[in-house]
Amino acid sequence: MREIKIKVNDEWVTGPVKADTTLLRFLRDNSFTEVKKGCGEGDCGACTVLLDGKAVTSCLVLALQAEGREVSTIKKKGDQLLEALKEAFVKYEAAQCGFCSPGMIITARWLLSENPRPNREGIRDALSGNLCRCTGYQKIVDAIEYVSMEAK
Amino acid sequence: MSKADNLFRPTQYFRPTSVEEAVRLLVEYGEKGSCIAGGTDVLAMKDPQIEALIDITNLGLNYIKSDSQGLRIGATTTLAEIEASPVLSEGPYNIIAQAAHKVGTPLIRNLGTIGGNLCNASPSADTAAALLALGAKLKLVSARKSRDVPLDEFFVGPFRTIKGDDELLTEIVLPPLAPRTGTSYQWLTKISTIDESLVGVAALVVMDDKAEIIKDARIALISVAPTPMRARKAEEMLRGKAVRDGLVEEVAKLVADETRPRSKPDYRRDMSAVLAEHTLKEAIAQVTGSKLQGAK
Repeated sequence: MREIKIKVNDEWVTGPVKADTTLLRFLRDNSFTEVKKGCGEGDCGACTVLLDGKAVTSCLVLALQAEGREVSTIKKKGDQLLEALKEAFVKYEAAQCGFCSPGMIITARWLLSENPRPNREGIRDALSGNLCRCTGYQKIVDAIEYVSMEAK
Repeated sequence: MSKADNLFRPTQYFRPTSVEEAVRLLVEYGEKGSCIAGGTDVLAMKDPQIEALIDITNLGLNYIKSDSQGLRIGATTTLAEIEASPVLSEGPYNIIAQAAHKVGTPLIRNLGTIGGNLCNASPSADTAAALLALGAKLKLVSARKSRDVPLDEFFVGPFRTIKGDDELLTEIVLPPLAPRTGTSYQWLTKISTIDESLVGVAALVVMDDKAEIIKDARIALISVAPTPMRARKAEEMLRGKAVRDGLVEEVAKLVADETRPRSKPDYRRDMSAVLAEHTLKEAIAQVTGSKLQGAK
């Protein structure tokens, strides 16, 4: 066991970890339960977070690898694009059961930081690591496209 | 929780800051140690034998450098960085970026590294096809020595390489490109891009100064044999030949004969021929400027 610090949503979080503790486990153990555990092997994208600004599956990152780095989840405050995406997901009914939404929205946030004006194909490509079993993706793509058009 | 989850219990984690320190740890832990970079294979495969994880992402091995000696890619360069690299955005090296884009998902490519994709040694490792076609060598470093191994000799079986437990892959080295080189990479999957490639073919051709005769050719395939492979007989058939109608089609059939697919063998063999034809035509057309019939 070792105490490590990770900056989550702009605040340092300290907690004990073992060699095999994943970033996902660390986040959930420290009350960031908005980060969901799905498959645990990087296939589903439910556990997606931003690690130093890049969208990654937190089940495939060791907490020790994230030591001293910055993590953002869907609950990060004061991020205009993130807020706009959440509102658009409601407006377009892009969430049904909602389990994939935190990861889906984080991936969308990363996409818009890399490419502020993606076309629909680009949106679908970026979302290829986030599975949704409810919506059929159409409304999710609609919501993200809307934000990319509206964003200044 | 699966059985494998219960068994995967590494107890040590190291983050060395030099190659020397990393290879010393590899010697110390031997087969019970594992390098970890992106972690997308190590943490998904959960090998119960692993006791120590040696994080190699802090060794300064994250770079893409191009000069007169060719191209050098650091082993821990992520697949996303390769996709986005301006050095690889056009010209014959572009097939490396295309192959990197085919691996996993965007979330995986933000973590996973090109060195990891090679060392995992999956028969369907997309980057291996592109790098084999480009004639890549790998730099393997141990506490005692450093050696350059042609990628052709690296893979020995599914998920097995010649790299010793005490060796670290530090760099991928690509020779300089001959003038009038064309390349292409194409693949097929079951449904979507995140499925592993069912067949992938990379082709490279070097044409003479009139762009009429094929001076050299390499054809590399993935997912059609126990390891990524070259179609050497087919390559030999192309060397010194003038491009004429029907040549590429004949060679493509030979490519299919050289494959050794285990599952879906008929489909994989047939599609090897189709993709070999498409990729060779595209590679030739890049040099000649004119499209052969059937080039994609």
